[in-house]
Amino acid sequence: MENSQLLTYLLFTPIVGSLIILFIKPDQEKLIRWMGVFISGVAFVISMIIYVAFDSSNPAFQFIHKVLWIESLNVSYHVGIDGISLLLVMLTTFLTPLTLISSWKGITKQVKMFTFSMLFLQAGMLGVFIALDMFLFYVFWEVMLIPMYFIIGVWGGVERIYAAVKFFIYTMFGSLLMLVAIIWLAVYASEPLGYFTTNLLELYQVGPTIPNEIQYYMFMAFFFSFAIKVPLFPLHTWLPDAHVQAPTAGSVILAGVLLKMGTYGLLRFNLPLFPQSSVHFAPFISILAVIGIIYGALVAMVQSDMKKLVAYSSVSHLGFVVLGIFAFTTESLQGAVIQMVNHGLSTGALFLLVGFIYERTHNREISYYGGLAKLVPFFAFALLFTSLSSIGLPGLNGFIGEFLILVGSFQSQVLDSWWFTIFAASGVIFAAVYLLWMYERVVFGKVTNPKLEGLTDLDAREMFVLIPIFILIVWIGIYPSTFLDISDTSVKTILDNVINNTYNFFS
Amino acid sequence: MITVGLEHFLVISSILFSLGLYGVVTRKNAVMVLMGIELILNAANINFVAFSKYGNFGYDGQAIALFVIVLAAAEAAIALAIVLNIYKTFANVNVDEIDKLKD
Amino acid sequence: MDASLLTENLSYILPEIVISAALIIIVLFDLIFHNDKRIIPYLAVAGLAVAGFFIIDQFSFEGSAFATSSSANNFGMITVDNFGSFFKLFVVCVSILIVFFSFSSEEIQKTFDRLGEYYALIFGMILGMIILVSASDLILIYLALELLSLSSYVLAGFTKLRDRNSEASLKYLIFGGVSSGLMLFGISIIYGMTGTTNLYLINPLLQAPNLNLITVSFAMILIFTGIGYKISSAPFHFWTPDVYEGAPIVITAFLSVASKAAGFALLIRLIKTTFVTFTSPDGYWQLINAFDWQALLIIISIFTMTLGNFTALWQNNLKRMLAYSSIAHAGYLLLGLVVMSDQGLTAILIYFVFYALMNLGAFYIIMLIANKTGSEEIDDYTGLGSAAPFLGVSLAIFLVSLTGLPPTAGFIGKLYIFIALVDAKMIAVAIIALLNTVVSLYYYVRVLKHMYLQKSDSPKDAILPSTGQILFILILLVPTLLFGVYFTPIVTFAKNSISLLGF
Repeated sequence: MENSQLLTYLLFTPIVGSLIILFIKPDQEKLIRWMGVFISGVAFVISMIIYVAFDSSNPAFQFIHKVLWIESLNVSYHVGIDGISLLLVMLTTFLTPLTLISSWKGITKQVKMFTFSMLFLQAGMLGVFIALDMFLFYVFWEVMLIPMYFIIGVWGGVERIYAAVKFFIYTMFGSLLMLVAIIWLAVYASEPLGYFTTNLLELYQVGPTIPNEIQYYMFMAFFFSFAIKVPLFPLHTWLPDAHVQAPTAGSVILAGVLLKMGTYGLLRFNLPLFPQSSVHFAPFISILAVIGIIYGALVAMVQSDMKKLVAYSSVSHLGFVVLGIFAFTTESLQGAVIQMVNHGLSTGALFLLVGFIYERTHNREISYYGGLAKLVPFFAFALLFTSLSSIGLPGLNGFIGEFLILVGSFQSQVLDSWWFTIFAASGVIFAAVYLLWMYERVVFGKVTNPKLEGLTDLDAREMFVLIPIFILIVWIGIYPSTFLDISDTSVKTILDNVINNTYNFFS
Repeated sequence: MITVGLEHFLVISSILFSLGLYGVVTRKNAVMVLMGIELILNAANINFVAFSKYGNFGYDGQAIALFVIVLAAAEAAIALAIVLNIYKTFANVNVDEIDKLKD
Repeated sequence: MDASLLTENLSYILPEIVISAALIIIVLFDLIFHNDKRIIPYLAVAGLAVAGFFIIDQFSFEGSAFATSSSANNFGMITVDNFGSFFKLFVVCVSILIVFFSFSSEEIQKTFDRLGEYYALIFGMILGMIILVSASDLILIYLALELLSLSSYVLAGFTKLRDRNSEASLKYLIFGGVSSGLMLFGISIIYGMTGTTNLYLINPLLQAPNLNLITVSFAMILIFTGIGYKISSAPFHFWTPDVYEGAPIVITAFLSVASKAAGFALLIRLIKTTFVTFTSPDGYWQLINAFDWQALLIIISIFTMTLGNFTALWQNNLKRMLAYSSIAHAGYLLLGLVVMSDQGLTAILIYFVFYALMNLGAFYIIMLIANKTGSEEIDDYTGLGSAAPFLGVSLAIFLVSLTGLPPTAGFIGKLYIFIALVDAKMIAVAIIALLNTVVSLYYYVRVLKHMYLQKSDSPKDAILPSTGQILFILILLVPTLLFGVYFTPIVTFAKNSISLLGF
């Protein structure tokens, strides 16, 4: 008998923890920092327990905990996970303590509020990944905006206020559209079901029966909201600002987890609820995804700011994920899921490295650097390793995801064209170009800038943050089955559902 | 000989109403605006009394007119007090020129 | 009218009698004991509490009092029903909060020697409002509206501390006078067409086949002018920003919550008793063809919220910004009426409860800050987050709630409005409302931005509220958060409160 309360413990650990932190005096910075790490560490341990107890061969949602919350609307506190959610939950609990540790040097003012915001944010992210009630999902989705707004706005760079407001308005716009779609769906479903509900599992039964002309609108409303979050070209313009201005920890969480909420939403809501529309719109969305892959890569190539380069590389990488989702093959969907994790690790590590060097020099311009290989060899190696992982070198994690997505999209019956694969594959080459070119300019050559003299290499704390990420990068690269197995059944369930409802496409 | 009927009263009240509205819209002096408001109220009063008499609705309409007259007096008293106060602070009562609060 | 009937009728209006008695006591007390003005607020609270008790006592009781001579059946001037009781209770609760509000207001404390007049006028407003929400006769409605307006004209300029007080008063007076005059003219036309001013008796007469619909529409638009002015819906909103900015903050808060609620109650009662023939089993109202309220209200509500939100964007005075925000909220509230259904009405009632909490809270904190800094300019809020941590966080929560983000009460209010809209298949309207919310996000967040993100050039003095003030804020703050996650009691209460006499 599985313990159905585990997810609730997991969710409430950061909530309770953040409240505890509120009661610590603000000048106890050391205590607050350790508390933050400790609490997020506890959350990680709980997620590991869940992982061990998780039965990956079971296609249904597990660890379901359901308590009636609001009688009048028939809304429940209803949580549960499948393989896809589990991977993202683990990614969240894994990255949060590391980012907290990484920010010990970078964040020096208002440590208490920062730690509070980060834990609150973590609770919001976990909530999004485990909610099985649309109302609950929406609440977490929105709640998360506020701490993120402050993380960017208070501890960010020079243009932080503009970036924070832009981030807030963009996401808010999308999520309100989603709210209308949620209500519309629930009201619509109340006729066949006979009662009003926001229970996702019950709505799964109704969604595919909605006539196409209505389904298209609902699909678009959800899709729009998630596409802003992903972000899919051409809705990506908030991302470079937010990424560049956010503090390192914010960027890591933003890239590592927040963006995944968009793609997770597509998998969790759009595909199962509106399978006909998903297939109908797949070619258009895939075109946007491919444009995003190439556009992101090309723009990344011309950036002079390291952080901006990494930010645009996210647009490119997330394009792969969206392409994988809308190619509708087992391989592509599996690739998309694993690529979400990969992107969280590689891009997260890249942001960490850029952040570490920025803390030393307060400069992110590529031209400022040169010859770091001689000055800071460990850093140079770490940057190389991460870049290679991000490029997709065989043997490291990026390869697995991109390879699966490309193979899957090549076989895709829905897309039914090689061109998607060919153009997407060119994105891999571009990635190699912009990352290695950046690497060459930063690390190789002579030390031209006298200010770089005396640069210190990575210290123990920074190593401690990076090494777990590196271990996972290699692990996924060499033995991906550990992770692919978790989501395998869940992905197949989603795909079968789509195929069963749109058999004429696949016959 | 012309008998005075409902129409005559309605015409008078419409004219009064229009004059009142015209005064409210065009006049800048606060006292003149208030007089416009009084005209509108009295137009309504004429309506009430006329309808009450010619429509055989009982005496309700006439009673209402009395209420309105009393109310108009109360409103005039308060309005003039406020206008007086304005005159003390701004030294004029032109609605256009009292615009310290603005977007 | 024989004596037993009179006492029965009088028992229907006990709350009104209590408020009137309290008004008289306050005036007399002020005249006789002019050295003990401190006691007056307590008298006020006591009077309100007694009135509140009688209102609660009247719940789930229906009746109609003071039938006029010409009406054959029982419908009189005043009706007692759950709908009216809800709004009476609402007005009384808000008034009690306003009395405490006045304690902390420096503007009011500076005019301490006129405290008796102040409370007498406040009670005039309260009396006007609670009659307004239960009146079912156009003339009584007009009289109550005037009682409310006349008291508030004076209160808007009550303190006379700054030029802007008198200006607010004058503007309120002129706009109010014109719109109530137009309303009276509209009433006179309706009287001429139907021979009665009783809402219930007008209803069947409006269903007559040979009615001149153009005249009815003309009269209804004139009547709506008077109501639209009270709820500050466009295009009758012009007074709102000036009066809200110029009046003492207490009065601004009172006008923006209670007076608006009374106006809404009147509008709903007018439409439901005069223009609805029956309510279908799924909660939709069947309107008489005489006048298309729905079309009028859709246009008005969209116009109101769009105008309110877009104009709020470039306001620099926080009070003025909240004035425009309150116009926008009137637009959202009208959406609940646009759907013409019981669901929509429930949503309005829920929204009002939450709106009162967050709006009063926001105004209260603005007042505390203005007491110290003497300014309501948003630029002067820079760096306030660290100078006044508690006030800052509370104001932030109230503003987030006004935006309608979870997990605050404001979100739940909007949610119910949206559900009612979608249920009525008005998805396009819902999307317009949603775009408006995004716009509103910008100006609310702008305040947060100034408080927390921007650096202040000069260090700010810390603003420390007293224990009583903290307590008052918590009374508003805790429900704002609590109802964001658990709101079943309010919803149940609102659902029980939508029944009007005869429907």
